[in-house]
Amino acid sequence: MVGAITRTPLQNDDTILLPERIGDLTGLDAYGTGGELLAIFLAAFLIGNLMLAMTGVAGPWAKRKITAAFTDRIAVNRLGPAGILIIVADSVRLLSKELIIPENADRPAYDLAPIVIASSALLGFAVIPMGSGIHLADPEVGLAYVFAVAGIASIGLVMAGYASSNKYSMLGGLRAVAQNVAYEIPLVVTGMSVVIFAGSLQMSTIVEAQAATFDLGIVSIPAWYALVNPFAFVLFLVANFAEVGRNPFDTPEAPTEIVAGYQTEYSSVYFVLIYLGEFLHIFLGGAIIATIFLGGPAGPGPAELGIVWFLIKIWAVFLLTQWLRSAVPRVRIDQLIEIGWKGLLVLSFANLVLTAVIVGLIA
Amino acid sequence: MIGLLKSMATTMKHALDGSTFTVEYPETAPDVSPRFRGVHKFSQERCIWCRQCENVCPNDTIQIVMDDQRNGEQYNLHIGQCIYCRLCEEVCPVDAILLTQNFEFTADTKHDFVYNKEQLKAVPWYKDIDPLESREPDRSAWIGEGEGDVDYQ
Amino acid sequence: MSSGLERTRPVETTEDDLEALLGDRALARDDHLNAPGFVIRPDDVQDVLSDLRDEAGFDHLSCLTAQQYEDRYESIYHMKKYADPTQEVSIVVPTTTDDPVSESAAPVFRTADWHEREAFDLVGIDYEGHPDPRRILLPETWQGHPLSLDYDQEKPQLVTLSEHANPIQPDHHDAESDTMFLNIGPHHPATHGVLHVKTVLDGETVVDVDPDVGYLHRCEEQMCQQGTYRHQIMPYPDRWDYVSAGLLNEWAYARAAEDLADIEVPEYAQIIRTMGAELCRIASHMLALGTFCLDVYGDFTAVFQYAFRDREVVQDILEDLTGQRLMFNYFRLGGVAWDLPEPREEFIAKTRDFLDELPAKVDEYNDMVTSNEIFQVRCIDTGVLEPEVAKDYGCTGPVARGSGVDYDIRRDDPYGYYSELDWDVITDDGCDNYSRVLCRMREVEESAKIIEQCLDLLEDWPEDEREIQANVPRTLKPDADTEVYRAVEGAKGELGIYIRSDGTDKPGRFKIRSPCYHNLSALGEMTQGEYIPDLIASLGSLDIVLGEVDR
Repeated sequence: MVGAITRTPLQNDDTILLPERIGDLTGLDAYGTGGELLAIFLAAFLIGNLMLAMTGVAGPWAKRKITAAFTDRIAVNRLGPAGILIIVADSVRLLSKELIIPENADRPAYDLAPIVIASSALLGFAVIPMGSGIHLADPEVGLAYVFAVAGIASIGLVMAGYASSNKYSMLGGLRAVAQNVAYEIPLVVTGMSVVIFAGSLQMSTIVEAQAATFDLGIVSIPAWYALVNPFAFVLFLVANFAEVGRNPFDTPEAPTEIVAGYQTEYSSVYFVLIYLGEFLHIFLGGAIIATIFLGGPAGPGPAELGIVWFLIKIWAVFLLTQWLRSAVPRVRIDQLIEIGWKGLLVLSFANLVLTAVIVGLIA
Repeated sequence: MIGLLKSMATTMKHALDGSTFTVEYPETAPDVSPRFRGVHKFSQERCIWCRQCENVCPNDTIQIVMDDQRNGEQYNLHIGQCIYCRLCEEVCPVDAILLTQNFEFTADTKHDFVYNKEQLKAVPWYKDIDPLESREPDRSAWIGEGEGDVDYQ
Repeated sequence: MSSGLERTRPVETTEDDLEALLGDRALARDDHLNAPGFVIRPDDVQDVLSDLRDEAGFDHLSCLTAQQYEDRYESIYHMKKYADPTQEVSIVVPTTTDDPVSESAAPVFRTADWHEREAFDLVGIDYEGHPDPRRILLPETWQGHPLSLDYDQEKPQLVTLSEHANPIQPDHHDAESDTMFLNIGPHHPATHGVLHVKTVLDGETVVDVDPDVGYLHRCEEQMCQQGTYRHQIMPYPDRWDYVSAGLLNEWAYARAAEDLADIEVPEYAQIIRTMGAELCRIASHMLALGTFCLDVYGDFTAVFQYAFRDREVVQDILEDLTGQRLMFNYFRLGGVAWDLPEPREEFIAKTRDFLDELPAKVDEYNDMVTSNEIFQVRCIDTGVLEPEVAKDYGCTGPVARGSGVDYDIRRDDPYGYYSELDWDVITDDGCDNYSRVLCRMREVEESAKIIEQCLDLLEDWPEDEREIQANVPRTLKPDADTEVYRAVEGAKGELGIYIRSDGTDKPGRFKIRSPCYHNLSALGEMTQGEYIPDLIASLGSLDIVLGEVDR
C-alpha cells in the first residue's frame, strides 16, 4: 500500500552554492566581481581536483583490486598499505614514458582530442549537487547542460580516431560516433521522464523532489526515481553504459578486435588524459544516475554527510561497471546499434509517454 | 536475461569468497614436484668422460673438450639453449650430470648462460631436494638389446 | 566396451577395387606400411584424386608429403575416408629433377591449396594449375627451397620486406572501390600468436581474408630429420602444439615410429599414455575455452582466469607425472619414461580429486559462458562451417566435430587403450562458433571419463607386471625406404606423421600433418561477409596454435 506522498517545499532560492560559501569564508566577497570570480575558480578547482583524485584512485588501484577479486587473483599489494602507493608509482611511470606521435597524425586535432575527452567530463560536474554544500552552479537547465557537455566527448573520440592516421583508430572513431548517436537519444529521452516527474531541469529541484518518502506502513522508503520508476532507471543505466563505452558496450575500444580503437596511437601523457577522461565519464555517468535516480546526496544521518553518500553512490555505479566487465561478453557493433535504435529508443519513448500520462493523471 | 544474471552471480560469488589461486612469488616459493627438471648440476668427481650425454643431446647444448690422452678438460653446458629433455641425465651411467629442481636463473646476456664445469657444480639444490632419490632412474631400458644386433655405440 | 565406440563403417575398398578404378593410370605400386601406394603420372593427379573421392569415397586428403630423391621429386597424397580412416591409399606422383612440374590437386581438394604451397616452398615442386602459387611458410623473397638436396643449409639469408607487404606504405587503397585493407596481426591482441591476417573490409564487413602464416616457422621437420629415432626426436613434438598438448603430440611421433620399427608397447604403458594424453587434452581444451572467451568478452576477465586456474591443476598433475609442465618428453619409443610417481596412492588421489571437482567447474562454465544470452547472440550462427566445406579443407578435431563430421581417430583408427574404455565421441550439428565451444567442453567431460577408467586400471594393476617400456634396441635403424604415415587424435585434430627411413638411425624424411594448419585454411570460408568481431571469434574458435601451424 502506497501511502500519501509528502512533499517538502522547494527551497531552490535558499540553496547556497559553493562559490558563495567560499566567498563568505575567505572574505573574497568584499572585493567585488573580481573576488567573486576568484571564489568561483577556487570552487571549480576544488571540485575538479576531487574528481581527478577519484580517477587517480580508481584507475591504477581500485580497478585492479576489483578485477583481481573477480578473477580470484592477488593484485597490487607491494607498495604501501594494500598497495595504495601504486598510484604514485604509476603516475610517475605513465608520465615519464615516451610520447610517440605518428608521422601522419593530424596535429592540432590529435593533440586536442585527449583534452576534449577529459575536460568534457569535468565540465559536467559543475552542476551536480554533491551534498554538504558542494555544488558549483545551479542553472535552470542543469540536466540539459550535463547531457550537452557529456556529449562533447564524442567529438573528442572522433577527433582521436580520425587524427591518428591509423585504421584501427578510424574504425574505433566510427564505432564511437555510431554508438554515441544511437544511445544519446534514449539517454536524454529517459532523462526527460525524470524531468516530467520533477517538473524542472534544475538539478537541485530534481534532488529535492526525491526527498519525499513513501509510507509503506511500517517502513518508509525514499521516493527516489529509481524506486518510483525502476523501468526508467534500468533503461538509463543501459544507455549510460553504452554512452560511456563500458562493457558490454565497449565496442569503440574493443581490445581484441580493433586493438584499442581510437586510443591505439596515444601514449604517455596523452594516454593518461584519455584514460582519465574515460574514468571521469564513468564517474560523471554515476553522478548523473545518483542525482536523478538515487536522490543525489540523500542518505541517513545528518545532511553534512551528503558528500559521503553521494560518493558511495558514484562508486557503486563504478563497481557495477566492473562487475559487468567481469561477466558479460561484448556485443557486436551491429547488434549494439540494433539494440540502440530498435530496442532502447522505442522503450525510452514508451517510458516517456507512460510517465507523462501517469503524471498527468495524478496531477 | 537469466543466463546473464547467472554469470554475474557466479563472478560475484568468486569476488566475495575471497579465495585466490595466485601466490606471492618470491615470498611464497612454489613447490615443484620431485621429478621437475631444472638447471643441471655436474660432478666432475663422478664423471667418467664417456661423452654419452654430449652424444644424446638433441640440440648440441653440451660440449666436452678432452686433451689428447682423452682426459676431460672442459664440460660446458648452455643452460639457455637447453630444452630440458633430461636425456643427458637418463644416459649418464654414473649420475654425474643431474637436473636439479632449480628453475630460478637469470643473466644479463645469453652468453652468461654458458656454464662451465665449476659453475655447473655450484648450482644449488632447490629446497635441498636431491632429485635422484625421487626419480629412481630406470636404466634397464637403456642397456636393453632389443632383438637386433647389440650396438655398443 | 562402449556403445559409443561402435560406428558403421563403409564397405571396404580393397586393393583390387583400387587397381580396377585406377586402371592404366597406375604405373606401379609403391606400398607404404599403412596403405597401398600407387604411382601415377604427374598430369593425372586431378583425374585420379577426383575418381578416388567420387567413386571410392576417399573424401579426406589427409596430408601431402613432398620430398626429393637423388633422381626425382615425389609428392605423396595420403588419402583417407572420413567415414573410416583405416581405409587409406597413398598416391605417389614422381616428377623429374630437371623439371619438377606436377598437376595441382587444389581444384579437387581445397586443402591441397596450402599443402602444395608448402611443398613448393620447402621442396621446390611446381604445381601446374595451382590458383595461388606463392610461398607460404618462408618469406616471399627467400632464395631456394630448404628441403631440396642442393640447398645450401649453411648460407644465411637476409629477409627484406617485399614492397607490397610494407605496412607503412599507404598504397593498399584501391581508388575504385570502397574497401579498406587491414592488417590484423602479426602483432594483434587476438591472433593467438604471430599470425598475420590480411583482411579486406567493406565498412565493418569482411570481404576477403588471407591468413599469412610462417612467422613461427622453426624448421621442426628438418630438426626431426637430424635427430635419432630412439632419443632425439621425442623432445620436439612437445614444441609443435606447445600449449600443453605435449603428450598428444609425442604420441603422434611414437605411433608412427613404433609402427615403422615394429615395436610393441606394453599394455600398462598404454594405459599411462592414454591417461596422460587425456589430461593434456583437458588442459588444452581449457586453454581453448579461456582464450575464446578472451576474444569474445574482450578483456582478461573472469572466465579466462578460471579456465587457467583449472588448467593449472592439470598442469600440476602432469608435472608430478612427467617432471615438466609443458615440454614433457615423457614418452619413449616402446613405452613411457617413468611409472606413476611414488607414492602412487597420493598421485591417484590427487587426480581423482581433480576429476571429482570437474563437474562442478563445468557447471560453472555453463553458468558463465554457454547459458549467457549475450554470449549466445555473439556465437550462434557466426563463423559457420558447413560439414562438406570442413571435409574439403581437411578440418578435423573439435572443428570438424562441431560441424557434425563424426570423425575421431581415437575411435575410428584405435590406438593406445581407447578401444577398451567406455567413452563417446562428441559431435554437434550447429556448425558455428557456439557448437565448437560446446564440443570442446563436452569433450573435457569425456576425457575425464577416460582418465577415471585409466586410474581404476592403474590402481589395480599387479605390482610385478608394471612394465613401462618394451625392450627397444639402443639404436634404431629401420630398413631403408620404409614409409609410414600414422595419425593420432591431437587436441586440435588429426596429427599425422610421415616418416621415410633411409637405412640410417635418422629419418630420411619427416613430415608433420598439423591439424591447425588445415583448420586455419578454412578461416576465409567461415568469415566471408561477417563482421570483424566474428572474424576474431571464429579465429578463436578454431583454436589454432601457431607453433603447430608453422612448425
